Amino acid sequence: MSQAVVSVNVGILLPVLAPAIGAAAVLVTDVAVQHLRRAHYVIALVSLVVGVLGTLAGLGMAAGEVRRTLCLPGGGQCMYVADSVVSTLQIAALLAAGLTLLLSWPDDKKELPGNTAVIVSLVLAATAGATAVAGARDVGSWLVALELATLPTVALVALRGARSAISGAIALLTAALVSFALLAFSAALWFTATGSGFLTPAAALHGFNDPVRRPILVLAVVVAIAGIGFKLSLVPFHAWTPEAYDGAPLPMAAFLAGVSKIAALAALLVMIRAIPLGTPPLAAIAIVAAVSMTLGNIMALRQNGVVRLLAWSTVAQAGWVVLPLAAVSSAAVHASGAYLLAYVLATLLAFAVVAALVQIWGPTRARDLAEYRGLLGEHPVLASALGLALLSLAGLPPGFLGLVAKVVALRPVVTSELWLLAIVAAVNAVLGVAVYLRWLLIVVSTPDASAQAAPLAVPGVAGPVAVLAVRVHPATLVAVGLSAVALVLTSLNPQLLLGLLGR
Amino acid sequence: MVALLIAAMVIPAVTGTFLILSGRFSRAAVSDGNANTLSLVTSVVTAVCVVAVVIARPVLNQPWLTSLGVRLHFAADGISAPLLLLTAALSIAVVVQARSRPPHGASATTFYGCLQLVELGALATFLARDAIIFYVSFEIVLIPMWVLIARYGDSHDLAARADASGRFVLYTVLGSTLMLIGILALVQASGTADLDALSAAHGAGIAKSTQIIIAALLLVGMGIKVPIWPLHTWLPPAHTIAPTAGSVMLAAVLLKMGTYGIVRLAIAPLPIGFGALAPAFAVLGVMGIVWGGLACLVENDLKRLIAYSSVAHMGFVVLGLSSGTTVGLQAALFANIAHGVVSALLFFLVGGLKERWGSADLATARAALREVSPRLGIALVVGFAASLGLPGLVGFWGEFLAMYSAWNPAPDRPQGLMRFLVVVAVLGAGVAAAYSLRVLKLIWSGDRTTPAHEDAHGGEWSVLAVLVCAVLILGIAPGLVLNSTFKDVAAITMEVPR
Repeated sequence: MSQAVVSVNVGILLPVLAPAIGAAAVLVTDVAVQHLRRAHYVIALVSLVVGVLGTLAGLGMAAGEVRRTLCLPGGGQCMYVADSVVSTLQIAALLAAGLTLLLSWPDDKKELPGNTAVIVSLVLAATAGATAVAGARDVGSWLVALELATLPTVALVALRGARSAISGAIALLTAALVSFALLAFSAALWFTATGSGFLTPAAALHGFNDPVRRPILVLAVVVAIAGIGFKLSLVPFHAWTPEAYDGAPLPMAAFLAGVSKIAALAALLVMIRAIPLGTPPLAAIAIVAAVSMTLGNIMALRQNGVVRLLAWSTVAQAGWVVLPLAAVSSAAVHASGAYLLAYVLATLLAFAVVAALVQIWGPTRARDLAEYRGLLGEHPVLASALGLALLSLAGLPPGFLGLVAKVVALRPVVTSELWLLAIVAAVNAVLGVAVYLRWLLIVVSTPDASAQAAPLAVPGVAGPVAVLAVRVHPATLVAVGLSAVALVLTSLNPQLLLGLLGR
Repeated sequence: MVALLIAAMVIPAVTGTFLILSGRFSRAAVSDGNANTLSLVTSVVTAVCVVAVVIARPVLNQPWLTSLGVRLHFAADGISAPLLLLTAALSIAVVVQARSRPPHGASATTFYGCLQLVELGALATFLARDAIIFYVSFEIVLIPMWVLIARYGDSHDLAARADASGRFVLYTVLGSTLMLIGILALVQASGTADLDALSAAHGAGIAKSTQIIIAALLLVGMGIKVPIWPLHTWLPPAHTIAPTAGSVMLAAVLLKMGTYGIVRLAIAPLPIGFGALAPAFAVLGVMGIVWGGLACLVENDLKRLIAYSSVAHMGFVVLGLSSGTTVGLQAALFANIAHGVVSALLFFLVGGLKERWGSADLATARAALREVSPRLGIALVVGFAASLGLPGLVGFWGEFLAMYSAWNPAPDRPQGLMRFLVVVAVLGAGVAAAYSLRVLKLIWSGDRTTPAHEDAHGGEWSVLAVLVCAVLILGIAPGLVLNSTFKDVAAITMEVPR
């Protein structure tokens, strides 16, 4: 007798279940014992680590090898499928969430806005959404998981309560609603075109081979790209990005740049991978990729605030992330994932350094690009870490990871002979270098004699490293250290990262 | 022996990183003098490794990025050997010269660290036998060179420094990204990234139209680095602003990475595609000869003048490459080395003069070099004589053979056009004589003795003397280089050795 209900394998679902249970546990703990703060963070980190352990079995699997669960009775289709690409995106989301939590670790000296239980559970809920959407294979869970990954971030942005935070949250909320409407529309179109609730190549092929339903299927994909374009900050759906990044507390901006982007790409990849191979290149993706890179870089060049610069750099990098997807192939999916991971790692390091500087300099100064003049002399450790992150984003040695990511992202484009797109990408590689070197030049230049910063006087402590230990919260230092070590290791051997995505 | 190959790259990498980081984290860790000594020892040890590699020809071939099929494949052959030796020798020379003329602007440890990393990038580029590794190595030199120009350059004008260093990086990144696209297309079309296999296939199995597209991407990409007229506009400001060591490495080593790449990645694997583009390529080269020469006739900044003369000299290299014959490629590779030696000599000289004079302006009346500083004077005369292509000096062979080969180009090249270009190039060589003599008249001859300045001595003089000797020796015995490159060049052109 076949099973009456869907099969459930908890081990495979662990990357989703662990943060979800963690979120619930934090809320329960808060009800049981009030005024706990660090305990919430510890619970959260433990749940993230458990989630990471759940992904390990899926990393670096051979092509075609998958782990599936939530399968319909009688050997039917499965609603949750994890292969090496999915597992890699999941581990990246979990680790990025952990880094965000380290950056927002409560400080004895100052009160954080909002209850820590609320912050932590929202972060965990959004992370669970991100890991869930990566594995989702039916339009229902796909849609719900993606919204679960998005809506908590609105609250996280608004928590600071400042005017800019509220306006950022409203921008984000509006984008999220429009995006949800588009995605729901796309899901309906998909169902109409394929007659199936599953996002699988078999279902897509069914609709694709029918000349009447093919246009509906194409429309479903294009509308989905638009809906996800909001979440990935692709032009012309990017307008919320600078507002939300700048208004949000810094760790939450890092969350938007890390976990949210992973969730968005994971959702896009679910749709792209359902499209049958051998489909002609997707002009829609080629156009948004080219426009995003160009506008993002040009606007980033004009910013005088570092968070806004990073926000526009996200727009440009989102263009690079979807660039390989213009060619429909499994190599393109791998390339897109690899580029995203390189971008997330470097961006999180940059955010971690800015967060450390917020603690030393105060928020106003640390968000002003001009104040970074002479950082190399003042804080060599932070400046070196920031320099590595910027060079990785620019794709220049010693940021070999970014350089290799550029090679990886361009390869499918060249393979498909999309020469015009490749030339646009080359021009944008130059613009990107200009964006990040502009910041780096400020960091390495000597401070003006007139505006010489007062030397850091910490009694009884000598040396730049010791100064950091006194002024910066240990959790932030751990975040800087971990991301810097990860970036150095993957720069020395980019295969460490590329290998995760599968052989 | 493979250990030596690895050591030749690891030693400068480790020393360079150490020097840059040590200056950051504790100021007293390495004094300026120690940094110079450490740098000198590293360069000498690296040079010994490079010589051993050139003699023993070990091969390193290890998988690196298995997902992309990229291998750490390094080896030397006849074409890269002279360039490797030039790089290693000049890396010693810049450190020796900095002993008597220390860098200024920021910490000396970072300066030496950056020089080591530039050497690493150049050596890795010339050693790379995998197309993707070639690209990665090509990019290594960018940031250290950017730092050298932006932090240690001409201190008079900060905005000009930011502009020159920025232009250098942005132009080069545009070039190298176009080159990357070309490389990826080449790898895709031929199915291998192994430069030896690409070279041996001679473009078999790649359609002519594809060959032309890929060759065009590669030529534009590397043409920016060479630089080929009209893509040269980054070079004069970069040379004018860069510190002496930066100018020397830029002119003598970094520009060669472009022409070397064209031979390796465009001419050898894509003979048909390159052949189709060769006439246009040759026209641009000759435009560079004339343009650079005319600019030199009126230029009043001595460093900028030598930069423009570089554009002209690289034009002869381009002409030789375009001919499609063994003689032409030989000429181009020889002219590469010749320009490396001569431009290094001239930039060492002019860098020193600029520090003595306070500027490099030719319009200001100076003491005649032959009166107040005969050592600098004789080096200047030899340098400019070689630059104008005087027979018996190193500059002659490359340019003479390039014109000879273009006069008798490969059968598939338009003979009439090529001969016309040779005539124009001869006129360009005449212009070179005119501007060389103009410079000598302005600063070498005459009998003014004020304001007096010191002559070269110590490290500066030994570097100049060695380079003057190199100009003479290679001028008298060009076979030292030509014999090294001959076998591998003949394999590329598939001409039966005569």
